[in-house]
Amino acid sequence: MSQKKYTIINTPVHNIDGIAKVTGRATYAFDVTLPGMLYGKILRSPHPHARIISIDTSKAEQFPGVRGVATGKDTLGIKQGIWRRYEELCDEQILPLEKVRYIGEPVAAVAAVTEEIAEKALDLIDVEYEVLPAVYEPLEAIKKEAPTIHEGVERNINVTRHIEWGDVDEAFEEADYIREDWFKCSGQHHMCMETRCAVSSFTPEGKLTVYTGTQSAYYHQGLLAGVLGLREGDVRVIAPYTGGGFGGKFELDAAQFCSAVLSMKLYKPVKIVFTREEDFIASKRRTPMFYYVRTGVKKDGTFCARESRMFSNGGAYTGMGATALYLTGFFHSFPYKWKGYRYDGYRVYTNTMPSTSMRGFGAPQGMFCSETQIDWICADLGLDPYEVRRKNGHTPGYEVPGQAFIGSCGLEECINEIEKWAKAKGKLPANRGIGISACGFMTGGIFNWFDTPYSFSSAVVTINVDGTVELYVGCQDIGQGSNTTMAIIAAETLGVKIEDIKVHSGDTDHCPADLGAWGSRQTLMTGNAVKMACEDAKKQLLEFAYAEMGINIVYDLDIKDRWVHIVARPERGMKYEDLVKKALRGKDGQRIMGRGYYTPHRKGMISPAYSYMMQAVDAEIDPETGKIKIHEVMTAHDCGQPINPLGLVGQLEGAASMALGYAYLEDMPFEDGKLMNPNLVDYKVIRSTEMPPSPSIEVDTYEQEGPYGAKEAGEGLTNPTAAALDNAVFHALGLQIKELPITPERIRKALAEKKAQEAQK
Amino acid sequence: MINDFHYLKPASVKEALAMYAEHDDCKIICGGQSLLIVLRQGMLAPEYLIDIKHLDELSYIKFDDKDGLRLGATTTHREIEKSDVVAKKYPALVAMEGKLASIQTRNWGTIGGNLAHADPAGDPGPVLIALKAEIKYGNSKGDKTVPLDEFFVDYFETKMEHGDLVLEVHVPAPEPKSGCAYQKFNLLDSDMGIVAAAASVALNADGTCKDARIVLGNAGPTPLRVTKAEDLLKGKKLDDKLFEEAGKIASEEAQPVADIHASEEHRRHVLGVLTKRMLKKAFEEAQKAA
Amino acid sequence: MEKQVLRFKVNGDEYEIFIHPKTLLVEAIRDHLGLTGTKRGCDTVSCGACTVMVNGFSVKSCSVLAIQCQGMEITTVEGLEKNGKLSPVQKAFLDNGAFQCGFCTPGMLISSTTFINELNGKVPSDMEIREGIEGNVCRCTGYNSIVRAIDAVAQGKYKEE
Repeated sequence: MSQKKYTIINTPVHNIDGIAKVTGRATYAFDVTLPGMLYGKILRSPHPHARIISIDTSKAEQFPGVRGVATGKDTLGIKQGIWRRYEELCDEQILPLEKVRYIGEPVAAVAAVTEEIAEKALDLIDVEYEVLPAVYEPLEAIKKEAPTIHEGVERNINVTRHIEWGDVDEAFEEADYIREDWFKCSGQHHMCMETRCAVSSFTPEGKLTVYTGTQSAYYHQGLLAGVLGLREGDVRVIAPYTGGGFGGKFELDAAQFCSAVLSMKLYKPVKIVFTREEDFIASKRRTPMFYYVRTGVKKDGTFCARESRMFSNGGAYTGMGATALYLTGFFHSFPYKWKGYRYDGYRVYTNTMPSTSMRGFGAPQGMFCSETQIDWICADLGLDPYEVRRKNGHTPGYEVPGQAFIGSCGLEECINEIEKWAKAKGKLPANRGIGISACGFMTGGIFNWFDTPYSFSSAVVTINVDGTVELYVGCQDIGQGSNTTMAIIAAETLGVKIEDIKVHSGDTDHCPADLGAWGSRQTLMTGNAVKMACEDAKKQLLEFAYAEMGINIVYDLDIKDRWVHIVARPERGMKYEDLVKKALRGKDGQRIMGRGYYTPHRKGMISPAYSYMMQAVDAEIDPETGKIKIHEVMTAHDCGQPINPLGLVGQLEGAASMALGYAYLEDMPFEDGKLMNPNLVDYKVIRSTEMPPSPSIEVDTYEQEGPYGAKEAGEGLTNPTAAALDNAVFHALGLQIKELPITPERIRKALAEKKAQEAQK
Repeated sequence: MINDFHYLKPASVKEALAMYAEHDDCKIICGGQSLLIVLRQGMLAPEYLIDIKHLDELSYIKFDDKDGLRLGATTTHREIEKSDVVAKKYPALVAMEGKLASIQTRNWGTIGGNLAHADPAGDPGPVLIALKAEIKYGNSKGDKTVPLDEFFVDYFETKMEHGDLVLEVHVPAPEPKSGCAYQKFNLLDSDMGIVAAAASVALNADGTCKDARIVLGNAGPTPLRVTKAEDLLKGKKLDDKLFEEAGKIASEEAQPVADIHASEEHRRHVLGVLTKRMLKKAFEEAQKAA
Repeated sequence: MEKQVLRFKVNGDEYEIFIHPKTLLVEAIRDHLGLTGTKRGCDTVSCGACTVMVNGFSVKSCSVLAIQCQGMEITTVEGLEKNGKLSPVQKAFLDNGAFQCGFCTPGMLISSTTFINELNGKVPSDMEIREGIEGNVCRCTGYNSIVRAIDAVAQGKYKEE
């Protein structure tokens, strides 16, 4: 339950970057132009797997207007990766020296006075390749006779992950019914509106400045320093605004790396912008997964045991895939209590574009398989899917054995809300069904694979003489509104107005290190750091207030709406602005400065807190063509205390659109290692006309670990949708579709199979 | 990256045709909604580009009860979509235009450019053929008019030769007791059809089928007429069974090509479904029509 | 291949620039005039991030040759404010949280504005609004907040200041 009345929290607040964004003033890396800037273009491998015999850049270098060409030989040849803690997982040389491992992998980069000249010069680079046999699917790549993609990596197994609790075999013994299914989950592209892009500027004093879209300026600072042989402090990453991220912009990309390498070679600023096609073929993607799921339940629907094996298509490099491998297996158990649970995940290298984190971080795949199978089990046993979910669902205070502690949990309320909503719809017409799916998600990861000695989040706040507040944070606003969230938390804590707060973020020279925007971590982690910093500053102010107001020290003082007052007698007080001036004098002119940080401790293996939700999709299928029409997507949601309802609704609706796309539209088909739809004509992103109404209800919970009781919102909701839609198709037509996306053709095929089976009977 | 070209801006159609005749390596640009993509991909790199977008003499919508509809080549899709007279007389044409790509494309793209591009997945082709449209094109020596279903000859290829320019589309006045319908099967509302079907039906006074046309989109190298199915319907009292049968024939006659969006089999199947549905819709409209 | 003079009006200001005929309108606006509010998001006339008004009509400026806009009037996102006051559509976007990363927003605002302008006071249906912005991809919001913003303007809840 919400414990306090707040002044600003939970009231709709305009995005503090809104005016800049609706007037075209917001400047993205894409818009940055520096004096003397050159334009870079990247030459990419046409082969899925080949040894680089030689690269001759001489003709390109002599082409008028070209200023320089870089290949792997111009780099330190460091194999990099974001899993810095484990050397074997740092496996990617951007501009490789020996081998290319996927179509589109960079092999050289040109800097020229115009983009057009740079592009023409690419044709003048001669690369001699020895083409090697390639393999594209994990179940092929894992075979003994498959070609080796990384030397020394047996059977192309990049990482494995085992999760187990309870006595799984014994728990299966207790089951009355066991069901097994194989699933295939597709890839998905982040499809950020701003393609990967960077402007790098290296100056003779040895400083590198990189303007880029990023989810973590700090990661990019660290990664660039590592791979370029610079000190971290000599690399400045600036991300003024970022045109979307969704999990795809916190690893080092070729725009950043190649522009930096060229700039260091030429001492000129270099800008590289990926075309949409480059962004599609040579960035990264959601991890495609093959799941085998075996689940045992009792007759009454009590869950006993689950045993799953998963093979993921890792593509050519590790990226964030190792984390996705763990999280998919963990969230595959969610949000239920299993007596015995066992998961074995294998991330397999293939000669395709690398796969990585994407909104949901492996959970959408794991939950698609879980939540559909649960509905089928309910149908097999004649059980009520709402009741079964309630019976087995997480509850507050539950411990996932050896993995996680559940604090607040509003799952049951969410299930109840959706049940009420669905039942109110009454009987639906033919070919139309409602599918449901429950889920939960983390609020920030307790993972330090980056091996940083910094706190996970930090904040610094200073108060100016006029009472305005400078808030320095390292969290990254990629559109999700974290700058606004932090401003709200700061204003609430300090007792000032939102317009008093100036948020400084996205610049490693001026902002404290923070792991950035991934794993739904910023509201809780940076939010706690901001709250702590503001409490620190406020305490310093109130010390002067006690002295100034001369009140009995047993009374509590507080600030609200710029009014410093006695809590018990709010009319007695003084203006905040006056207090600030007095406090400055009292401190011999030193600015009031507060510091805060957050690093999780003793919170299990995964996350300090978990959000919960239940979603229903109301869909209609044209049985003759297989085409799906989605009427509505309804969500009941527990994110603890909402901070900004306006931002929250946007996050949930956005998640629903991306997750619907994953469910029935978006796919990344490859043929011989070549992506077949590397453009927005053939890659289908949901549009306004396809997007159904997507209302949501917040259930009331309070999370002790979160700032003002807040938890995750916006990433977790990409998890339930594919299953909910698939379940809608199941309830509408009786089809069990085990492969994403749910295309018209798959529906028709399943219908035909069903008819054939029924005819046999 | 677009290759360099010389830009020519004629003051009249006559001048445009003269320029076209003069330069061998030359393309016409009007709205450029398709052409610029092709130029950017480097699939075409003409030395000269003649811009006819501004030629107002080719921008018109004229209707006459006897003569029917005349659309100038540089008329934009949006102008057709918004035209009251077209909406009244040829609702299927307006409905088709309303689903053609996006508003932005319809605002700049033109009917002549679309037909000249001859994409078999293009929307206007099937509907206009179902409406028995003819197309006028010409060069510096003169012009000719051909039925639109003879105009398209292959993927992105028309009867026009170098120097020929689309001038006008003519749609005959609607027959009494006739109806027309078009639908595409796609994943996004604004997409081109994975496949599409247009149908038109005209009824005799006794309610039997006087004439029918079935035209498939993206079911072969050009918009594809299914005359075998049309013949099946003519002279008969139309019903669901006949529509089903016509759909089956359309499905068999189609020559769709598989790609990542659908297999050949699925395309054939959906073409059958769409044909059946559009015939029924056209028939119902014909029954309602004056 | 010879450069040509393009005279046109952008956001009310007269410009005269010297361009290659292959210069796209979006390039003229961004690279020649430095109006970087207008974005580019694809090369296939798909995403709508580059949408601007040409003589009052929305077009995708990546699929229009700049030279074809000789003598025309262009409005970009930078031209929507009047004397430092946000337009009704801009205000409605703010109030409804109709943007997140903001990269599609300039094009989305232009499409929304032309949609409102073409209504002539008629109140549109939900689907009509959706069709009005169908040519613009937004990867963040799921569009519904944008639809609410446009609806609010169409309902007359915002007045031009």
